[in-house]
Amino acid sequence: MAVLTPARPAPAVTPARGRGRGPVRRVPPLVLAFVLVPLLAEAVWVFWPALQGFYLALTSWDGVSPPRFIGLGNFREMAGDEVFRTAAIDTVLWLVLFGGLSALLGLATALLLQQERRGVGFYRAALFLPVVFSLVATALVWQAIYQPDGVLNQLLDAVGLESLRHAWLADQDTALYAVIVPALWRQIGYVMVLYLAGLKGIDPALYEAAKVDGASAWQRLRHVTLPQLRSVNAVVLSVIVIDSLRSFDVVWSLTRGGPYHSSELLSTYMYSTAFQSLRLGYGSALAVVIFVLAFGVICSYLVRAFREAD
Amino acid sequence: MSNPHTSRRRFLAGLGATGTAALLSGCVTSTSSSKSSSSGAVSLQSNLSAPQAKAAMEDLVAAYGKKDAGRVTLNTVAAETFRTQLPTYLTSANPPDVYTWYPGSVADAYAKKDLLLGLDDLWASSPDLKRYSKALNTLCTASSGKKVFVPSTYYWWGMFYRKSNFEKWGVSEPRTWDDFLDLCDKLKSKGVAPIGLGAGGNTPWVASAWFDYLDIRINGAPYHRELLAGKHRFDDPEVRKVFDRWTELLPYFDPDGTALAFQDATTALLNGRTGMMLIGTFFADAAPKDALDDIDFFRFPVIDPKVPLAEEAPVDGYFASARTGRAERVTELMGYLATAQAQEIYIKGSSGTVLPCNPDAKDAGTALVKKGRAHIDEAVEITQFFNRDSSDALQPTADTALTKFIAKPKSIGSILTDWQRDAQKIWSA
Repeated sequence: MAVLTPARPAPAVTPARGRGRGPVRRVPPLVLAFVLVPLLAEAVWVFWPALQGFYLALTSWDGVSPPRFIGLGNFREMAGDEVFRTAAIDTVLWLVLFGGLSALLGLATALLLQQERRGVGFYRAALFLPVVFSLVATALVWQAIYQPDGVLNQLLDAVGLESLRHAWLADQDTALYAVIVPALWRQIGYVMVLYLAGLKGIDPALYEAAKVDGASAWQRLRHVTLPQLRSVNAVVLSVIVIDSLRSFDVVWSLTRGGPYHSSELLSTYMYSTAFQSLRLGYGSALAVVIFVLAFGVICSYLVRAFREAD
Repeated sequence: MSNPHTSRRRFLAGLGATGTAALLSGCVTSTSSSKSSSSGAVSLQSNLSAPQAKAAMEDLVAAYGKKDAGRVTLNTVAAETFRTQLPTYLTSANPPDVYTWYPGSVADAYAKKDLLLGLDDLWASSPDLKRYSKALNTLCTASSGKKVFVPSTYYWWGMFYRKSNFEKWGVSEPRTWDDFLDLCDKLKSKGVAPIGLGAGGNTPWVASAWFDYLDIRINGAPYHRELLAGKHRFDDPEVRKVFDRWTELLPYFDPDGTALAFQDATTALLNGRTGMMLIGTFFADAAPKDALDDIDFFRFPVIDPKVPLAEEAPVDGYFASARTGRAERVTELMGYLATAQAQEIYIKGSSGTVLPCNPDAKDAGTALVKKGRAHIDEAVEITQFFNRDSSDALQPTADTALTKFIAKPKSIGSILTDWQRDAQKIWSA
């Protein structure tokens, strides 16, 4: 056999197989399983329900009878739905106020607490503490604060501002803003931690160089810190957009989107439409809109961020 | 020692099987006709999660367990979760067997979809159910003519107040609408908010009681039921009359009425910050025991004597899943729940402010309960409550419309137009 082998021309297809030059290696079954099993789990618990959600958005379904396919009927209805419009506007307002303020205040507290000084750990922990509490529990505490006889109104009485007393959660002019405060109270600590991590990653030599060049504190912030935090900003923005669009628990616990839809967000409208009014098709259509918004905002930002990085 | 390769393979196979099972169960929109296993205990899904009511249900299940009939497992779920999950329970392949819930239009909606177990045989054979009133009989019958419900207790709505406070303020129960307005004036002059509401927080539905009562006093119970069934429009002149009358009363309402949940409004009533409150007897669960003897109520005043007297008296009870695999034992359990003994056990264990549906069962025997029983007996018509005479799906439309009316009564025209539009979406869904 060994004598005959060199005399034969090598087969055209097989020679590379199993040799050092060939890139195709057999993947061990265990490795394959570690990829495929999570993929299967993901497919079952994430992709499949999501796809069903997209399908349900094209149906009229009360949760009991079989869904009835109505094409884009739910989306057409949405175009003329005043409550949807209110919820969309409130969601944008929420995104700007909750998102903007939590980013700004998170950055401000991170800048304030970045220096290692005595007792700074206590302040960092104190600011991060609300993140640990469940938002529903947070909402219950704030509900007591906002009650007509609650701490806030008592405080206003004590400082002679009785005229500002309010049924904060029951007044359509104040409900949305009253709900944003506990949400912010919780989010700032989280954003602060993200920025603190980003600040730790900045090379101190850059500050040294800036100082040598005579840059003021503001100039160092403007030209060193902020550009260096660009990658953290992308994370913070993604977190904020996703958290804004999925903000639900705090609003639901405090106002349920009321009074008369004045604090309605897309998420609360989706829930009440689907599970209270039992219009699961329309609720799914609202969920699709939320998904598209979140995906669109984040993708457009990331694309821009990567383009700038290039 | 086990072979590591074998266990890994088993582990992966197990995961695969779990995934496949989940994939199959993930088909939320698919329908299945498979029945639950006929073995094992009968499962009783209860929404009675208030501590006293929950304890009373546990007593009831324990008492049934002592009989030969077999075991029952009680699963208590928070009321809001129960309500939103009920369609899922009933349509699932392996549903709980028996449920606490409401008769009338609520049960009928499920019966129309063949999700409820038919109880005709039980109603025909049970010596207890044979003696139930004609009104209850009708209430438990679906529109197809099939019996689907076993009632257990009912309670009443009324204008509740604290006797000692009325004495202190020198006022008494009103008989007519004008008396009622006088009473409100007197209370207001004493610096008390005459009418507490409790439609804030998570209980905006309490405001529907005012809509229900004004409508049944002005337009009558038949019109009210038809309105809630979608046979009239919310922007009709008849409905407008309800709000015209309500507008007269608005200055007497507690300004915090839409800011406080009914539990907090109960505290305000007991503390004398408000004079009276239109509420069901369930509010007693939020009242301290020692205050219960001091609580009394009067009938919602008659507005038009020509309109037959109607009262809200919601009935509670049980229905069962059509997909149960234990129909025989489920029927036995429901027969037991209809007995005087079962209803007395529940009343004894709970706050005791409900009335038994079984004519032979004893109520708690307090003066308040006796008055409540007479209050219902005198009524020509009985209504359930807004969501029970319509649907849970319609309730949020009422919550929005009514709380907006209380805040902005002058916008009633547009409020009713919007209400009709929102309700139409529910009816045509």
